[in-house]
Amino acid sequence: MASSVLVPSIADGLPDFSSEAYKSAYSRINAIVIEGEQEAHDNYISLGSLIPTQVEELAQLARMELKHMKGFQACGKNLGVEADMAFAKMFFAPLHNNFKQALAANQVVTCLVIQALMIEAFAIAAYHIYIPVADPFARKITEGVVKDEYTHLNYGQEWLKANFEASRSEIEQANRTNLPIIRRMLEQVANDAAELHMEKESLIEDFLIAYQEALMEIGFSPRDLARMSAAALVS
Amino acid sequence: MFGLIGHSSSFSEARLKARDLGFEDLADGELDIWCSAPPQLLETFEVTSNTGKTIQGTYIDSCFVPEMLSRFKTATRKVQNAMELAQKRGINITALGGFTSIIFENFNLAKFQQIRSTLLQWERFTTGNTHTAWVICRQVEQNAPLMGIDLAKARVAVVGATGDIGSAVCRWLSRRSGVADLLLVARQQQRLNDLRTELGGGEVLSLEEALPEADVVVWVASLPQTLTIDSASLRKPCLMIDGGYPKNLDGKVNSPHVNVLKGGIVEFARDIGWQMMEMAEMANPRRQLFACFAEAMLLEFEDWHTNFSWGRNNITLEAMEQIGAASIRHGFSVLGLEAASISPLPIAA
Repeated sequence: MASSVLVPSIADGLPDFSSEAYKSAYSRINAIVIEGEQEAHDNYISLGSLIPTQVEELAQLARMELKHMKGFQACGKNLGVEADMAFAKMFFAPLHNNFKQALAANQVVTCLVIQALMIEAFAIAAYHIYIPVADPFARKITEGVVKDEYTHLNYGQEWLKANFEASRSEIEQANRTNLPIIRRMLEQVANDAAELHMEKESLIEDFLIAYQEALMEIGFSPRDLARMSAAALVS
Repeated sequence: MFGLIGHSSSFSEARLKARDLGFEDLADGELDIWCSAPPQLLETFEVTSNTGKTIQGTYIDSCFVPEMLSRFKTATRKVQNAMELAQKRGINITALGGFTSIIFENFNLAKFQQIRSTLLQWERFTTGNTHTAWVICRQVEQNAPLMGIDLAKARVAVVGATGDIGSAVCRWLSRRSGVADLLLVARQQQRLNDLRTELGGGEVLSLEEALPEADVVVWVASLPQTLTIDSASLRKPCLMIDGGYPKNLDGKVNSPHVNVLKGGIVEFARDIGWQMMEMAEMANPRRQLFACFAEAMLLEFEDWHTNFSWGRNNITLEAMEQIGAASIRHGFSVLGLEAASISPLPIAA
């Protein structure tokens, strides 16, 4: 196609990691990540009770999450920031409650959609966007973590793929119920994320890319994906 | 499998398309919603060549709309994410359509090969510019005589002469078409001088100077909305090939002596079972398509899995001949003027 004159703006540089504004935002974002990894650990252990044949594999995934959590705690210490864990617990509460309800009702599909698809896709998107704007210490830690998260996403993906026809309607229901919560969670941290030079627009897009890719692997058609992911776009 | 990355020509059109496809939430969403929307693989279809070979194609909508052009990061993400999706779906060769290749080139996205965990393989993508340039040249060669314009005596202006397509068109018109005079119009003086040196001729003129002089005008630059053309000052007859993107020349010229032809459009020998071209305002959307998209099909038909058109000013005459021959072999013809619309030929003496 023919060319026109478009002048790109200069890409953002790194944030000032020592500024008070950065540290304040980091205290919440760091807490979310620490809490997210802790809950992921607990959730994979709990899932073992619903999928007893895979208890060991789930325990191994859970151990990785604890390792990640320790890494992120070190990132906070490195910057001299105390993570605001009370905020993080509130942040995760609606999604965590839905997970607990599904667990109590033996709804393994819903549990996997929430933890292994949504939360892992959320983490993958956020870590990818964070890496280029992270401080050197956190960058190294996060690069290691993001590789593991694909393993976790893959676990849920493979289980749901193997049980696709039986799981389909429950996946769709879990999507409808929980995707708007993910969207609200992203909205809630948008300002803090912006302080870290992470844009809401790209967080949502990258989340949906990872999430849609998982849904496609599981067996949904391209048309299904667009319909299902719209729930995260429209608040 | 070949791929086409496209987009709607405006935000309002994108919303209509979303409604058509049953994506009500997206159809109702504001622009900021679309800025966060991931690329979508909208359809898969088959195309059968005149040689009998059948290939499969996929259309990916990048969810970009021209209203996002002023948002550098958004536009960049749309292009990169659509390319990543194409590669992850294992598509051999994908054409960057519409603004996609323009954004890639002007924002220099070749610098960013790593998209998340994917290293983009450039050999899986083509701008399609070689085929587009060849088609535009053939449109000039086939349609100018129909209007009584003899290329051997004609002055042909190329607006956007130093661009990737423009420079290729200039090369072909001066060396293969035997055009009498080439009028070179572009913004950057140094590039114009370089092109003139390479061609060994051609006259560098401003747009205002070139238009009244030209028997044929090839537009391969995007036209500013504000551009006005004084139709009365144009030559009679005058053939205009609208090869830029978007194609908006038609509304700017009003003269019975001037014919405007959509440039860089081809027609396939048989219907293609797709829906996407319905929205591209093609007269015959089952058969007509952008030549850049057709290039991806040709590369797949021929098993030339390579970035045939890539970078700026790399298009050779040999490559144009090669893709042109493939174009004819597989059943494409270049879009021509409709007989009824051609300005009357001057009465022979």
